[in-house]
Amino acid sequence: MSEVLRVENLSISFGGLAAVDDLSFSVSDQEIFGLIGPNGAGKTTVFNCITQFYKPDKGSVWFTVDPERLAARRQKADNAEGQINLVGRPVHSIINYGLVRTFQNVEIIGELSLVDNVLIGGHVDFRASMLSQMLRLPRARAEEKAYREKAMEALDFLGIGHLADQLAGGQPYGVRKRLEMARTLMAEPKLIILDEPAAGLNESETDGLAETIREIRRRYECAILLVEHDMGLVMSVCDRICAISFGKFLAMGTPAEIQQDPLVHEAYLGERDDV
Amino acid sequence: MTSTWSAAARRALKNSHVQFLILGAALLLLPVLSANGIIKTSTLSTLGFVLIYAIVAMGLNLLLGYSGLISLGTAGFMGLGAYIAAYVQDNLRLGFWVALLAALVIPTIIGILVGVVSLRVRSIYLAIATLCISEILLKTFEQAEWFTRGTAGKQSTFPVIFGIHTDRRFMFSVIVIALVLIMMLTHNIVHGHLGRALHAMRSSEVAAQAMGVNVLKYKLFAFAMATLYAGLGGALYLFFLRSSYPSSWNLFLSLNVIAMVVVGGLRSIFGTLAGAFVIFAVPELVLKELPVVGDIPGLPYIFSGILIVVVIMFFPQGLKGLADRVRHALTPRPPSVTKDAAVVQEATR
Repeated sequence: MSEVLRVENLSISFGGLAAVDDLSFSVSDQEIFGLIGPNGAGKTTVFNCITQFYKPDKGSVWFTVDPERLAARRQKADNAEGQINLVGRPVHSIINYGLVRTFQNVEIIGELSLVDNVLIGGHVDFRASMLSQMLRLPRARAEEKAYREKAMEALDFLGIGHLADQLAGGQPYGVRKRLEMARTLMAEPKLIILDEPAAGLNESETDGLAETIREIRRRYECAILLVEHDMGLVMSVCDRICAISFGKFLAMGTPAEIQQDPLVHEAYLGERDDV
Repeated sequence: MTSTWSAAARRALKNSHVQFLILGAALLLLPVLSANGIIKTSTLSTLGFVLIYAIVAMGLNLLLGYSGLISLGTAGFMGLGAYIAAYVQDNLRLGFWVALLAALVIPTIIGILVGVVSLRVRSIYLAIATLCISEILLKTFEQAEWFTRGTAGKQSTFPVIFGIHTDRRFMFSVIVIALVLIMMLTHNIVHGHLGRALHAMRSSEVAAQAMGVNVLKYKLFAFAMATLYAGLGGALYLFFLRSSYPSSWNLFLSLNVIAMVVVGGLRSIFGTLAGAFVIFAVPELVLKELPVVGDIPGLPYIFSGILIVVVIMFFPQGLKGLADRVRHALTPRPPSVTKDAAVVQEATR
């Protein structure tokens, strides 16, 4: 299976403290990949390094981009495998390549309707000039209409289409989480990064979430990389898991392998006295 | 047949652009009333300034309301527009249209240049940076006598538009047309792709960037639009009043424009217009006529100061929010609300 993301020797430190230390892993096409580790292991830092919110001190983040997408953006791949290195690129350019993320503490716009929130996810696809939007020329209107339909599809897909015209601010937490996921779908993603999607959800909502994540992969044919504390979810939904501790690579494998791994046990539960 | 007509009419009335046109048509009656002596010329003048300040405040609303950026430099850019309009019309004798265009373009370009430097800093630092720019402009207005005639004040004339020698009533109509166009433009900006980007930026810069919004570009856009509106307001001010003094373009004006946006309600076009009326016209038309109170020096500033405090404490949504609450109280609740709530619970179960 071809890979969509390859993180190579990633390192970043804050004030001399290594948050991520020489970490490498890769995510295959249409794979659901979990990144786990105890609190403070540097999981979200890894995400932020991939999406360029943080500039890593060392290492590279290779991302496979569809040739058509690159051609449309008039860009060239950085290596022979048709990949680009995300490190050093502006944060707002990352979504262009088909890599999109959600946030741990749901970042949606309360003053806008649900459908407008989803449309933000399609921001980079709008081609009409600023002037034609200001004057609401036919081209801008046609574009707006087309993307609005696409946004409605994403909302319907996540089962919140009937709320499309309501303000996002007044919605319950579960709806806001779904809304944030719907927004990622607008970008025609190759890889979606979910930062603790189950945080704050109850048990039955979490079960629904696992199904939703699989559905997203099936329907949108993309890979999903998630950080999650809910082990039930991670073990049930992930194809492969990478465990880290204090920013260092610990273990990698299927859920069953990870559950058996002594190093993972140690990191989570502390050293066993009786061994 | 009549029912389909009334349905079509009701739908048209919900269209914001139609509402703006109706408002414009109603405002165009004012010069006629003034010509017939039904309203005083001084009242018409006051209302003209209300509309000019409303245009400027709508620019600041794009900045403060939608983008979450603050500017204390509005007065400087408005004054710049006024002096450029006067200079191009009276010194260079290039006519109304060139003067208007220059008063739009030059402040906007300067605004963009200022933005490139100052938009890298945030909140209070941006306020200080824009205040400095405004003070520099104010000092320039006082010193550059070839351009502004300094503290003696720049005198101008009513412009000639399409060969017509205008007067104050005619200029009022020009202001109304400009206002309606600006309201439509603002509406288009905020209800679409651009507006969403501004919303995203205000809500969370981090999330906006993750969604591909180039934050600096949209900050510059909002800043440029705000200076464009201020330049237009300045030019209209000059053509309406036919004079400009440096003392008009001080910090108090910038603060008053902020008051208009806050009192009217952030992110509301009609609210901003109402805010401009309350902040500028109420002291002029009502308070000054009152016994005793009317003689207090600096009354308008006291009034807008108290109003800002009251609005922020009790009506954070401003006049717009107040109007919404009244409308909400007056409309009977549709029975489907409870059903919707059930659906929400179902979806989030």
